[in-house]
Amino acid sequence: MTPLSIALNLALSFAGLAALCLAMDRHHRAIAGRGQTRACARMLRLAGWAALAASFAAAVVTSDWNFGPVQWIGSLTGAALLVVGLVSYRPAWIRPAALLALPLALAAALLA
Amino acid sequence: MRQGFRQSMAWLHTWAGLVTGWVMFAVFVTGTATYYRADLSLWMRPELRAGPSDAIPAAERGIAYLKAHAPKAMAWYVSAPQPDRPVIAVYWMDSLEAPLGQAMLDVESGAPTKARDTQGGDFFYRFHYELQMMPALGRWIVGAAAMILLIALISGIVTHRRIFADFFTFRRDRSAQRGWLDAHNVTGVLALPFHLMITYTGIVTLGVMYMPWGVTAAYKGDDLRFYVEAAQTTTWRPAAGRPGEAVPLAPLLARAQGEISEPLEMVIVNNPGDANATVVAVFEEPHGLAHQHPQIAFDAASGSVVERVEPLKPAARVFTSFMGLHEAHFASTALRALFFLCGLLGAATIATGLVLWTVARAPKTGEAPGFGLRLVRGLNIGTILGLPIGMAAFFLGNRLLPVDLAHRATWEGGVFFGAWALAAVVSLLRPHRRAWTELGLAAGLLFGAVPVVGALTTDRGLDFLAFDAAMLGLGLALALGARKVSHYEARRQAAKAARPGPARVPEGLVEA
Repeated sequence: MTPLSIALNLALSFAGLAALCLAMDRHHRAIAGRGQTRACARMLRLAGWAALAASFAAAVVTSDWNFGPVQWIGSLTGAALLVVGLVSYRPAWIRPAALLALPLALAAALLA
Repeated sequence: MRQGFRQSMAWLHTWAGLVTGWVMFAVFVTGTATYYRADLSLWMRPELRAGPSDAIPAAERGIAYLKAHAPKAMAWYVSAPQPDRPVIAVYWMDSLEAPLGQAMLDVESGAPTKARDTQGGDFFYRFHYELQMMPALGRWIVGAAAMILLIALISGIVTHRRIFADFFTFRRDRSAQRGWLDAHNVTGVLALPFHLMITYTGIVTLGVMYMPWGVTAAYKGDDLRFYVEAAQTTTWRPAAGRPGEAVPLAPLLARAQGEISEPLEMVIVNNPGDANATVVAVFEEPHGLAHQHPQIAFDAASGSVVERVEPLKPAARVFTSFMGLHEAHFASTALRALFFLCGLLGAATIATGLVLWTVARAPKTGEAPGFGLRLVRGLNIGTILGLPIGMAAFFLGNRLLPVDLAHRATWEGGVFFGAWALAAVVSLLRPHRRAWTELGLAAGLLFGAVPVVGALTTDRGLDFLAFDAAMLGLGLALALGARKVSHYEARRQAAKAARPGPARVPEGLVEA
């Protein structure tokens, strides 16, 4: 339950939720300014759920079955709040932020 | 069913939410503050400085004080100094009915500390589940409200069925009602697992108090045995009625410490001075979800072990894990911050729900608001802004009340309730939009004043940087919120003035 393991969790949850958000037509239009193909939406959804699953795995590996699930759910709330904030106030930032979260997650994973 | 299922649930959600909203808002806010109870206590006793300490000599000093000051008590409790509470806290029980006596002792000398008399973070902790009322009454009110809140949560998931489709949606640019609804849905759904967990585990924590009959029936009135079998405490050994000589304490505690790797947290002496006196060494919770303290009981006269608290059985483990999840003592700094955020989201869900009730019932242009609407509006402001005003005033009171004032801790509570009551009166008397702006600004200024007053009245310099930053952040958020309301109001009034229609006197003119 070190700060690094929570940072790893938050980064993966944020990237995953941002992808799930982008997979929704309404948000995709607001963020990208145009619609998306169904294949694109499916890819984003897949990537999003994969990142959330990776986040869960990271939580359990770094913090055990005792605290991992608690930490994972907490990170989902924190990350989702960030996604909602960005979508509402700075929609253009969400894609770069989600892409930036991945190397950050990698760095945290290597250090943790 | 005359109406559809969803309409019935919407009705239930609306009214269950409204009747419990004010109480539960206060419970959520003070509960969220309680995640930082130890930090609040440290801030509120600036005379104390954290330092290394040894538990066993500290326990001896505590027992020596109790021997001198409460020789006739039924039980003594000595709480070892903690990094976040650098005192020896001693308590004694004179009878089952009387409140516990208590004193705070200096770690080095064992004499009463010179720290100011305050409840510290315990004030919000007790408010969280007793509302600072008579304990039984307060617990029943909070419990009943929490049970209704659980109903409101579940019916709310049915009512706001679009929460998952609208998971990331917060539309600020549409109508006021849409914005509040989105805010209510987003704050509700993002932390939904937390809201359900914290409400349910909160009820479970005091479940035996709300439904004692199972325990009473199964244990035939011997409730204490239930707690012993649930591995929460050791058996109470009755007094022999004749005086006895106790063996020295330190070797007993050292033996207990040899068996258990957690630090010593508390020493309890039951029936001190009696031939049947019992010494119980209580250790801190092992790192885990379950809330259970390892305990070893000794016969004080012979020094032999009479009891060890058993490992948790499955049912007790589930119960203590619920308690552990609720209190989150296990949480490290980062996870604690997430719990804190979830708690704030819970308070925000309730607050936006309360406001939504009034927005959805706003009278049409030209109609006067009815009594019910005005009352709910007033109570909303009085609670949502009144409570933070009370809390900020409580912190200021801690720094500004004279240190040697008699019953100082009670006065601090008085400042809290006084400021809150004043804010509530203002919110009922002023036009409601003006009240939002004015009280929001007042709350922001009061929180902003806390670090300033703290720096001017103590010599602790930058010791409380995180606390000060949190106060400034809260103050800024409240002041910005107030500004937002007044700006929104200005735009609305301008739009209204431009629109032809039945003339209406605006509620308070707009500042330029």
